[in-house]
Amino acid sequence: MSGNPEDHFDMESLEDLKDIMEEDFQMLLDTFIADSEAKVEEIGSIISGGDAEALRQVAHSIKGSSGNVCATSLSEIARQLEAMGKDGDVSGAPEVYEALKVEFLVVKDILLNRI
Amino acid sequence: MDKKSEKELVEANDETLRILIADDNDSDRLILKTIVRKEGHTVYTACDGQEAIDAFKKESPDLILLDALMPNVDGFEAARVITELAGDNLVPIIFLTSLKDAASLADCLAAGGHDFLSKPYNRIILKAKIQAFARMRRLHETVQDQRDKIIKHHDHLIHEQEVAKVVFDNIAHSGCVDAPNIKYLLSPMAVFNGDLVLAARKPNGGMFVFLGDFTGHGLPAAIGAMPVSEIFYGMAQKGFSLQDILREINNKLKRILPVGVFCCTCLVDFSFRNETAEFWLGGLPDVFVYRKDGTLENFRSQNLPLGVLSGDKFSTETRVIPMSQGDRFYMWSDGIFEEVNEKEEMFAEEGVRKAFEDNNDPEKFFDELIEAVAEYTNHAEQDDDHTIVEAIMVAEEDLGEYFSESDSRSLIGGPPDWAMSYELRPLTLKEFNPLPLLTHLLMEVPGLRPHSGKIYTILAELYSNALEHGVLGLESDLKASPTGFAEYYGQRVSRLNELDVGSVTFHLDHKPWENGGRLTIRVQDTGPGFDHGDKDDNHKTEGYSGRGIPLINTMCESIRYLGNGNQVEVVFVWSFDG
Repeated sequence: MSGNPEDHFDMESLEDLKDIMEEDFQMLLDTFIADSEAKVEEIGSIISGGDAEALRQVAHSIKGSSGNVCATSLSEIARQLEAMGKDGDVSGAPEVYEALKVEFLVVKDILLNRI
Repeated sequence: MDKKSEKELVEANDETLRILIADDNDSDRLILKTIVRKEGHTVYTACDGQEAIDAFKKESPDLILLDALMPNVDGFEAARVITELAGDNLVPIIFLTSLKDAASLADCLAAGGHDFLSKPYNRIILKAKIQAFARMRRLHETVQDQRDKIIKHHDHLIHEQEVAKVVFDNIAHSGCVDAPNIKYLLSPMAVFNGDLVLAARKPNGGMFVFLGDFTGHGLPAAIGAMPVSEIFYGMAQKGFSLQDILREINNKLKRILPVGVFCCTCLVDFSFRNETAEFWLGGLPDVFVYRKDGTLENFRSQNLPLGVLSGDKFSTETRVIPMSQGDRFYMWSDGIFEEVNEKEEMFAEEGVRKAFEDNNDPEKFFDELIEAVAEYTNHAEQDDDHTIVEAIMVAEEDLGEYFSESDSRSLIGGPPDWAMSYELRPLTLKEFNPLPLLTHLLMEVPGLRPHSGKIYTILAELYSNALEHGVLGLESDLKASPTGFAEYYGQRVSRLNELDVGSVTFHLDHKPWENGGRLTIRVQDTGPGFDHGDKDDNHKTEGYSGRGIPLINTMCESIRYLGNGNQVEVVFVWSFDG
């Protein structure tokens, strides 16, 4: 785990996105962070409850939105959780969830402070 | 692609669409909204499937970008509802999905989606897809517009045909085709029939029956029927001869029909008084006469159909055959004759003869003949219009009073009070029959039309007396013997040819009279006259039987000879009650 943006983001696409969004880029980041923060929280309680389908849905959503802001690593971790939800086997989920939380914090930090 | 459509395409690409974006993920929605808006489109947003459905109802967008997985109502369900709401309209739905497996993507399309777009979004692909669906939508609109136009045109066409058919039926199947001595069957292949059956009573009590078969079927074939009917009824009612009517119809059709379109025809003039049928047959199958004595005769067409030959080459030569009461005359369109069985053999004359041999009761022959054709073809779909007409020689009384159609219209307008003189000089006497013209003139008098039969008969008798006995000096005694009869008409032709002096003058006077009118007809010729002595006005007319006077006598109020006998005056009083 490093703090290098290149390790967490598809930087080229992120630059494109920045160009596209122009003055809305900041709003996008705020929206993404607020949205994801809530969803990461939600996944924590879902895993405790063992609801595989809920896990699949929320993880799917994080996968999509993190993909859209070019946070490729976060998206990949969310994909793993989604797959677990889909398979109905959440036994490995807590471990991956920890990774998700950490990755989200890094992504958030990079987006807020280094882009 | 030519320049024009290229230009249209560029313009089309700049088209501003109204696009609905439905995605529960705030950041996704924001990105997509931004991208789409930058392309110049108007964007509406929704956060779940239900909102998407509501927004669709409210905004009716041109295109929908729909996230597949959403809370409440998901994208698949929303797509189904929206597609149903859209009805005939095409509202392209592009599913937004981060699903990658083939089954999930296929589900998007199965749910009514037109395409899918994978997350994360690729701007270029998104733009291309929006444009592609804008084109598809326009194409669909064009197709729909054209479909609606076609439906409208089709409805319009059907409506027009229905109206036209009413007009056509009023014209083509009017007259006295329903007279008790006529049976006919018209079985058209289309709304309109290329076959035509007309029948009209003649002012002299006889009857014309016309069968026409135009080349082709349907409307093009039916159109030619209109002028034929008009001419037929108009001229028959005014007392024109079979030859005059044929010539007029032929000339008209020759003038208006395209080459290759013509009218196979049989026109028969039934004289119930003389018990004869005079007919002209052009291009139709043989006509048959089923005699009361149980024999069957057929007569072959000797002419080309109407509308083929120009007036100078057209022959109105007819055949006259005796018809006893109860004899039946059959004519038909070639549809019946040319009906083929499963071996592709035509029904034709043998078929008719066979039906004849099988027949025991002449009353049933008509129906048996139709049944025989149906059986012959094993009830297969008919190939052509079928028309068959049976006309029976009957006593004139059996047909009821001759009553010209459309008499009510003459109750309004028209001249009731007038007088005129009409002098016919040699050149006119040679060439021209004044009776239709005079009858026509008199029929303009309001209410007189129902009496046209009698008036025609009176005019005809007075005119032939004035011309033949007065101007031409023919002796009526000649007509007493069969040889004299021919002699009489021979002399009539030769004297008329040589005629250079003399005239016949009609003096007509009509006045309103009680509940009707009073018509005075005075006919004057330049002949020597005769000694009418005490024969004036007293109905003792035995001495003039050769002059058709007894017949007139029964029809009119008074008849008297004037001057030296070269003038005769008939008074005809009529009332609206008949």
